[in-house]
Amino acid sequence: MVSQEMILERLFVYLNTTVPASAPVRPDIELVQELGLDSIKVMDLLMELEDEFDISIPLNILTDVRTPAQLAQAVFSLMEHANGAVR
Amino acid sequence: MAELYMSATLTQHFLPQRLADFPTITDALDYAALGETGVNFYDGRCRLTAVVQYAALRRKALDMAKRLCGLGLKKGSRVALVADTNSAFMEVFYGCLYAGLLPVPLPVPSSLGTHDSYVKKLSNFFKSCDAHAVFAPAELVPFAKEAAKCFDMGFIGSAKELQAGPAPDILLASVQPDDVAYLQYTSGSTRFPRGVTITHRAAMANLQGMLRDGLGIGPTDRCVSWLPFYHDMGLVGFVLAPMASQMSVDYLRTQDFAMRPRQWLNLISQNKGTVSFAPPFGYDICSRRLREGEAARFDLSSWRVAGIGAEPIRDEILERFARQFSVSGFDQKSFVPCYGLAESTLGVCFSRRDIGIQVDRINRWELERTSQALPFDGIDSNAAAVFVNCGSVLPGHELEIRNDSGRVLPERQIGRIMLKGPSLMSGYFQDEDSTQAVLDKAEGWLDTGDLGYLNNGELFITGRRKDLLIVRGRNIWPQDIEYLAESQPEIRPGDVIAFLVPNDTDPEVVVQVQCRITDQEQRERLVQSLTRLINGEFGLTSRVELVPPHSLPRTSSGKPSRAEARKRFLQTQSGCELTLAVG
Repeated sequence: MVSQEMILERLFVYLNTTVPASAPVRPDIELVQELGLDSIKVMDLLMELEDEFDISIPLNILTDVRTPAQLAQAVFSLMEHANGAVR
Repeated sequence: MAELYMSATLTQHFLPQRLADFPTITDALDYAALGETGVNFYDGRCRLTAVVQYAALRRKALDMAKRLCGLGLKKGSRVALVADTNSAFMEVFYGCLYAGLLPVPLPVPSSLGTHDSYVKKLSNFFKSCDAHAVFAPAELVPFAKEAAKCFDMGFIGSAKELQAGPAPDILLASVQPDDVAYLQYTSGSTRFPRGVTITHRAAMANLQGMLRDGLGIGPTDRCVSWLPFYHDMGLVGFVLAPMASQMSVDYLRTQDFAMRPRQWLNLISQNKGTVSFAPPFGYDICSRRLREGEAARFDLSSWRVAGIGAEPIRDEILERFARQFSVSGFDQKSFVPCYGLAESTLGVCFSRRDIGIQVDRINRWELERTSQALPFDGIDSNAAAVFVNCGSVLPGHELEIRNDSGRVLPERQIGRIMLKGPSLMSGYFQDEDSTQAVLDKAEGWLDTGDLGYLNNGELFITGRRKDLLIVRGRNIWPQDIEYLAESQPEIRPGDVIAFLVPNDTDPEVVVQVQCRITDQEQRERLVQSLTRLINGEFGLTSRVELVPPHSLPRTSSGKPSRAEARKRFLQTQSGCELTLAVG
């Protein structure tokens, strides 16, 4: 079973490779405002997550996501729902 | 869950093809419903998730029309419609048309942490179009409710919610060609949106011109699209046009394209699509994401019309795409550069088919000095400006190039592009001032605000709408960025100018801010916080520059002159390069 911590770890790996290392990546850092992730990088990040965890991320959950911790939480709850459904 | 036995609608069927020769959009759907073609929706991994034939779509739209009338909405009332790529959008859109209501397609949220700004944006749209009902995909209904707090709406919810229970037994009034069909909000400031009103007659005239003359559609054509349904190219070009010519369409959601651009090419390969459009950045992003040896996996040999529109066209991006995908069977002659705008429904000019990109090399010195587009015959390619041929205006329409005092200019002279013909909007919705500023109703001429010249009757665009910032196919109005910056406590209204300059990959947005702060640390902090703020709101990395007080150029009426600021910026830039080269 994948845990929220594992998702967060994966996120950190991605962010550390794409974002200039000026600011240390923290769970509560603002992805867009502080890390400066632009819309193309956001889409890349979402694709990584979708592929890695075999989920489909609906747009509406992202509007309230600002930090890596919130994103990990959102992905985790998506996976819970997906596992409950018949595939 | 996808059903195992589901299969996409056919490309060909027995119904004789008619190319949009109908009096109204609803007449067009009535006819398409006699055949077997329809619309198909795919997920981000190219799996078919929904299939709706036009016959079923018409049935559901008529049912929706009765339910809409049952809400007690008066004829011509606006129905806001948050437009995700699905069949529910179409049921409500066509339902409104059958019911004599005006659907107003609106954007979905597009990025991280945009909850508040999206709600504010929706609320601005509701106010601007004076909406009486709001439809949204179920997951976005809470946003719509939040945005509609201060409005008196007859309904806020998903299509499904209204479809519960039996439909009221209501006789629908007939739809007339001169009725307004819908409002289009594609290109406009988000803070001060303007809704383009399009009648059935205008929509049908444009659809017919595009399908018959622009694209030369035939019975074996099939469309593929990822363009958003709230955008004119997505709505008119790939929802209405296929329906009005009884073509099947395969859709990918815009978000899925943005995440996995190559699925677009996959879908064309899989279903033998023949017609698909994108702004140049759509082709560019496919090129950039292409992996070694991957191009051979696609089969793009069926792609007859690879349309390009919605932003200035740079030929080198398209040449690279054609080179990379020639092993996929892509023929560079299938590129069709186009020019269009929502104020003329959608399409204005289409380049000739089967010749690909044709460019004009122009003497840059003459261009800058005399506004003449004279052929370049030198060797130093830096002295040439390159423009793409967008073809001649659709039959039944007239296009003129005029100077600032309204005089018609001869060929190869650059001026404002003026347009006349049956596809023009009736005006901006409830905004007489803005309408009068661009539309001369007595003479029937529209000032497109774009600049260009004619050569052998074919149009070359040299500059798009004054000041508009077009970044990766998105239209961003400089006043929206300026307003955001000016709302910071350190900055006063009128202290900010935003404009776009060319850059290596994507064009760059420059934001110049007049600033009285002298402390270096404070200045750096301000630049950083503004850059973040702008990225948070618009999803783009801008270049923020602090300039001394009273240094930004003004027009004679005291307004900030973005064109002059841009010119000065570029001059200093090339000055720097020159010094470097010399020094």
